[in-house]
Amino acid sequence: MARYLARRLITLVGIVIIISIGAFYLIHLLPGDPATVILGTGDSPQNRARLYAQLGLNRPVIEQYFVWMKNILHGNLGTSFISQVPVWTTIRAALPIDLEMIVLSQILSFAVAVPLAMSSAKRPDSWLDRFLGAFSFTMLSIPAFILVVVLVLVVAIKWAVPHTGVSSYVPLSQDWVTNLESMALPSIVLAIGSVTVYYRVLRSDLIATLQQEYITLARSKGISQRRILWRHALRPSSVALLGTAGVNIGGLLAGGFIVQYLLDIPGLGYTLVNSIGLSDYLVVQGIVLVVSIGVIVINFVFDFLITLVDPRIARE
Amino acid sequence: MSDETLLRVREVTTAFDTPQGRLTAVDGVSFDLAAHESLGVVGESGSGKTVLSRTIMGLQPRRGVAVTGSVRLNGAEVVGASEGAKRELWGRQVAMVFQDPMTSLNPVVKVGKQIDEVLRVRLGMNRAAARARAIELLEMVGIPAADSRYGAYPHSLSGGMRQRVVIAIALAGSPQLLLADEPTTGLDVTIQAQILNLLDEVQGRLGMSMILVTHDLGVVATRTSRLVVMYAGRVVETGTTRDVFARHRMPYTRALLESSPKVSNPSHTRLAAIPGRPPNLLDLPTGCAFAPRCAYATDRCRTERPVLEPADEPGHLFACFNPLPVRVGSPS
Repeated sequence: MARYLARRLITLVGIVIIISIGAFYLIHLLPGDPATVILGTGDSPQNRARLYAQLGLNRPVIEQYFVWMKNILHGNLGTSFISQVPVWTTIRAALPIDLEMIVLSQILSFAVAVPLAMSSAKRPDSWLDRFLGAFSFTMLSIPAFILVVVLVLVVAIKWAVPHTGVSSYVPLSQDWVTNLESMALPSIVLAIGSVTVYYRVLRSDLIATLQQEYITLARSKGISQRRILWRHALRPSSVALLGTAGVNIGGLLAGGFIVQYLLDIPGLGYTLVNSIGLSDYLVVQGIVLVVSIGVIVINFVFDFLITLVDPRIARE
Repeated sequence: MSDETLLRVREVTTAFDTPQGRLTAVDGVSFDLAAHESLGVVGESGSGKTVLSRTIMGLQPRRGVAVTGSVRLNGAEVVGASEGAKRELWGRQVAMVFQDPMTSLNPVVKVGKQIDEVLRVRLGMNRAAARARAIELLEMVGIPAADSRYGAYPHSLSGGMRQRVVIAIALAGSPQLLLADEPTTGLDVTIQAQILNLLDEVQGRLGMSMILVTHDLGVVATRTSRLVVMYAGRVVETGTTRDVFARHRMPYTRALLESSPKVSNPSHTRLAAIPGRPPNLLDLPTGCAFAPRCAYATDRCRTERPVLEPADEPGHLFACFNPLPVRVGSPS
């Protein structure tokens, strides 16, 4: 186990380095110029040159990268060109919003998907199974940004639930009721996408598991069907589910960006989109780096969970 | 042997709905089993013996299966009983030792937990008592270092050890009837005898009745008192083990006997194989199902189906129009 973890950790460091290079070059390839944003279009070339030197942008790109990396290794993500706020301060304010959104949406997804998959797998091809199959397929094909608009129309406008919809975000620590009201909508939107995927993955694995001889043996013990499903079938069926969840949650960070942008929730995605518009290089690089590390760590955690769920996997 | 009847099987027929039509895997099977008695059910693969053992237990899949006839275990009817009613029987009155220990244990649950599930859920024992009893059961089925094996996962145990665990699970609820469905097919030859002897020993020690399902007559010869020979879902011969071995009348029984290897044969003796293949259950011949493969078959065999009729010895029945003569003093 220790060797397995060590091997994974080395891979992780390698991936982070590659991503940092990618993030760095991509932002420099984008059109836009921080000097224009700060000074406006009409300023003199001398002033621009001075600003470039001040920001370190006159140096070769490779050198800029190494300066950036050196600072990161010293725990310093730099300071925004535009707002003069340290990048880490910006990220620290926005990150909890993304985390809350993801945690809420995942709790919701698993709470819905697991029982649904079980009731489908218990009787494949029953009317319930067919209905859920068709319904999940429909939901899978609706993009998140359309769901957001529809839900805002229904929940915030038609039902007039307070604090849902646009621009009402309050931190969890400040007022949890208002916070949950405003986080409910984005969490539900993200959960709908996850539920359909989890339901489909778990359903087919459960059906396969329920055909296994050890399920017949469990049945022959005279234990209830509920116990068979939860104690004997769920665990061996959840390897693919956990793998999918690991990948999906990474994707949710990106999917969450759109939802945040549409609902004016000041998470990482919202900040990232704004910073790209402002050519705020260090903020963009910092967010991309933090998000990629987050995605890798999440996958790492889920891979680890898989070894807990199926003791046969860690050996290989 | 007690006269008290534990299991009464009458005219049991099990049919599956398949895309190709209705498949009758067990067709009109009847027999009785007394308390403490052990019965062998023998036949080739596809003869319906596994389906029969599942039907006796009521453990067939929930859908796509039609069972008729009657199976009474301690007077309680199994055929048509609700899942809840059968659950009461399972584990406590009847338990099964499954065919392949590689697939019949849950790969992600510790073996000890798989044993004490019966003890905790069915017998209501608390965690500590169940654990202690599970370790006792592991010791009883001959697993060394039972205390540490309690926490082992199936993949870390050998096939023989796993089958011992499966037996321990079956014994946990102290059932009166143990159904052993080809309990040694998945195991090495050297382990097979150990497992069979273990079954034999616990059956005697715990005073259970046992049905031993196998294709190997050598397995049942010394371990059962009576035999049921099955072919294409029907009983073709039944009687005491001694009578079936020494005074069998049905040509299929003889073919089965001759096809099992004997230690007394000189080495490199060619095994007598039964010619032809077991019949397609979806398309059975009109007459005797064995007729196409039988050296003694007549026109009557091909048009009319023989029913079980008594032989000279009490309890010995066979279904054949051209029974073999009894070989006096024939070796068994």
